[in-house]
Amino acid sequence: MSTLTTTEPPPPLAPPPALGRRSSLGDRAFRVGALACGLTVLAILALIAVATTREAWPAVSDQGLSFFTSRRWAPSVEIYGSLAFVYGTMVTALIGLALAVPVSVGIALFLSDVAPRRLRRPVGALVDLLAAVPSVVYGFWGVTVLAPAIVPVYDLISDLTSPIPVLSTLFAGPSTGRGLFTAGIILALMITPIITSITREVFDTVPGAQKEAAYALGATRWEMIRAAIFPHSRAGMVGAVMLGLGRAMGETIAAALVIGSSPQITANLFASGDSMAAVIANQFGEAGGLHRSALIGLGVQLFLLTIVVNMAARVIVARSGKYR
Amino acid sequence: MTTHEPHPRRRFAGLASPVAALVALAMVATACGTDETDEATPDGAGQNTVTTVREDPINATLNASGATFPKAFYDMAIDAYRRVQPGVTVNYAGGGSGQGRNQLRDGVVDFAGSDGIVREEDKASYRGGEFLYVPTVAAPITISYNLPDVRDLQLDADTIARIFQRQITKWDHPTITALNAGVRLPSSDITVAHRSDGSGTTEQFTRYLDAAAPGVWTLRFGSTVEWPSGTQAGNGNQGVAQIVRSTAGAVGYVDLSDALAVGLQVARVKNKAGRLVGPTLEAASAALAGARVNADLTYNPLNADGADAYPITAPTWILVYKNQTDRNKALAVKSFLRFVLTTGQTLARDVDYAALAPSLQERALAQVESIVVPGA
Amino acid sequence: MSLQPAVLGSGISRGRRARNRAAVVLVYLAVVAAAVPLGFVMAYLIEQGGRVLTFNFLTRDIPVSARTRGPGMGPAVVGTLLITGAATAMAVPLGVLAAVYVNEYGKKNRLAAVIRFLADVMAGVPSIVMGLFIYTVWVLRFGFSGFAGALALGCLMLPIVIRSSETALLLVPNDLREASTALGARPSRTILTVVIPAALPGIVSGALLAVARAAGETAPLLFTIGVVTTTNLNLFDGTNTALSTQIFGNATQPFPGGISRAWGAALTLVLLVFVLTAIARVIARRFTVR
Repeated sequence: MSTLTTTEPPPPLAPPPALGRRSSLGDRAFRVGALACGLTVLAILALIAVATTREAWPAVSDQGLSFFTSRRWAPSVEIYGSLAFVYGTMVTALIGLALAVPVSVGIALFLSDVAPRRLRRPVGALVDLLAAVPSVVYGFWGVTVLAPAIVPVYDLISDLTSPIPVLSTLFAGPSTGRGLFTAGIILALMITPIITSITREVFDTVPGAQKEAAYALGATRWEMIRAAIFPHSRAGMVGAVMLGLGRAMGETIAAALVIGSSPQITANLFASGDSMAAVIANQFGEAGGLHRSALIGLGVQLFLLTIVVNMAARVIVARSGKYR
Repeated sequence: MTTHEPHPRRRFAGLASPVAALVALAMVATACGTDETDEATPDGAGQNTVTTVREDPINATLNASGATFPKAFYDMAIDAYRRVQPGVTVNYAGGGSGQGRNQLRDGVVDFAGSDGIVREEDKASYRGGEFLYVPTVAAPITISYNLPDVRDLQLDADTIARIFQRQITKWDHPTITALNAGVRLPSSDITVAHRSDGSGTTEQFTRYLDAAAPGVWTLRFGSTVEWPSGTQAGNGNQGVAQIVRSTAGAVGYVDLSDALAVGLQVARVKNKAGRLVGPTLEAASAALAGARVNADLTYNPLNADGADAYPITAPTWILVYKNQTDRNKALAVKSFLRFVLTTGQTLARDVDYAALAPSLQERALAQVESIVVPGA
Repeated sequence: MSLQPAVLGSGISRGRRARNRAAVVLVYLAVVAAAVPLGFVMAYLIEQGGRVLTFNFLTRDIPVSARTRGPGMGPAVVGTLLITGAATAMAVPLGVLAAVYVNEYGKKNRLAAVIRFLADVMAGVPSIVMGLFIYTVWVLRFGFSGFAGALALGCLMLPIVIRSSETALLLVPNDLREASTALGARPSRTILTVVIPAALPGIVSGALLAVARAAGETAPLLFTIGVVTTTNLNLFDGTNTALSTQIFGNATQPFPGGISRAWGAALTLVLLVFVLTAIARVIARRFTVR
């Protein structure tokens, strides 16, 4: 707070503006305008919810509970079950998480503690660049470059794991390169920036005193991380991971191009599958009647799932902020 | 409250590397770019005698979508038509027969390409009322495969049905080797590729299997079919072609034009007369010759009789509303369809499509004339 | 503040030292694990895209057939700029004013909290659902158009703009508001002449990030804009096309001509997004009042 010390009396203030009706009308109009803009968010969201649910209702009521429990999706005989797509969405998202979380945590640690000063900005730029690439470009690269190139890698892995019981079912060959695992890789590329940036913010909030205390007790860098950073950041990391999960589940285009478009529930991660968003993108154009309604039903289901995950994540992250 | 003015030099320090990188990137990109100028123009475009009536210039934009099976033909026809009527822009979006019918029904396109027929019970939901089938071309549906060492694969309906139902999963299965005496087939897995979108090509292909392999084929027919698990799906004929091309041991059903353009190997199929016939335009025309045409100009050349007929020859139509609402669009539609049915027919061969038989062509032209133009 | 642990010769056991070194190696490996795929993506992008990126490419019409080799992607460039521009024109004013309400007028009251919560919910709506929504509500009635696509993109941008504007407004010190009120300004005047200008760097940079995100989106445009091969400058009439949908369409085609055009479009799009993001960061860093 600055204090004014003058030796002369302050100049007379201009008289306050007349509190005429005109200015208060303009002021009130502005307030109402801002309120209206705020309300459009409600309006749009309400409209989305109402319109999509109303369009989806015919299919869901027609199919009943089997819409959510059946794995059979057969538009030709008007049977719509979403289970195979939910499976594909969750599996690819989880594979993406499994690949992205260790990498993201590592990069976050690098940026907040391990990196020498001059490496910090380039690696930060690297993460920014990862985030800047649009999903369709990742998908395009995935289907033209990654999928063909990764087939020998998959074949190698399936050969190596064939004698091991559980792994041999998970990684059975042969594969065309398009499938659940490839989609998981592309998703991992896409969610790494989000998880990295949030985790890094959380790591940066660790009080310096705690880190210094760990070093003062003779800890190595790794031990300091384990003792001071991780315990403090647990909730934040969980929140970051769940936000990444939410993003991976909603990703449409990149997954649609490399997932194989073959809805099935299979333990073989190298096999092709399908996800909710991808099947909507693929089939919506031609769908009519009950088929279209069922696809919108999938959209609503996906929407609800991502809401739940995102909300849980925000609650956890918000709560971790109170840890300070 | 204090404001920190960053030191002038430091203010720009952060800018240097990203901006420099960006400028370098852009310069490298544009410097390395070259215009690929070997544009492939269809041979014979503009060299044939045009039998169309001289028309007044029209100004309109036509939006269409639908079958990817004839897309290569429509793309070429649109390109050539631009020289006849430069004021008419035709946008054909593809997306599959299902999408075309759907969007015509909803009134978001002016005409639709479809290899499949609209079910009776669906006709009432078409917003524009009565619609017409205008046959345009026909072509073989090839059984394309990716086996570099097998030059001439031979199959019959039963075997094709078993392969696509995943009852035969390896290339060296006895049934396949029996049909290919003297050829060494690998023991690798067969990767089946089919359509992920609602497809008239799928409908024609499955109709064929339903007719030609009745005891074996159980999946019935339709624009979508419940394919068995462990198969791959692609978007459009081109998407299936892409899968077959990039996956060793793959097999899929692709229109002839795309199969040849991508360089896929195509199989010979045993026709109804018991002869092995390859997917050529002559064999397709032979199949068309015997097909019976209905009053609404739908017809079925699948599994045709005739010694030289290719059994999986598929028809395709353009669906358009009989009673048009916009005068300019109506004139443009009629003009474009006339072009497709006259000059277009002479150009079809260049992109590997079979022209219609002359009798069918006449009936199709009469069908186009019956489109009602408002405000005439 | 980087703290170097004082590791004295015999003070640390070999096991602990090994674990520490292993951990540091793993961290570096994590960076490499992210850099390598990104490097591949950028390498292919620059090599394949750079091969076709010329002035002609950015201005010539799209060939009708995907089999044709040669340029260009002109209509897609125009389409992306037009549609994203229209979406920005709708979403940014709306979003900033909404953030103004939440932060300046509503503050702690229930309505502001609800709006804030719903903006978060809206941010989580999958982009394909936005596209479906606009298709059922708009396209079925008015047909495909660039404007329908702009509506879908605008819905996508709105929550991002609201959140970043809110953060920017929050950062403006209260002293400024109090001083303005003390001088007799009405709340609207305070907001318009004091608060928003002070928050402007944050607002602009947040808006640019939203634009960058929208420019790259495909799913909302799939069922709203249709397709076209010539430039359509009319946003409200007729189908349109964009770089993202062109890349998606060509990604499933096997033809080298279409694929090389898609690489060119991809490089153009990445450059566009990168420029917007870089400008956003520069504005935020350079102009923010601390």
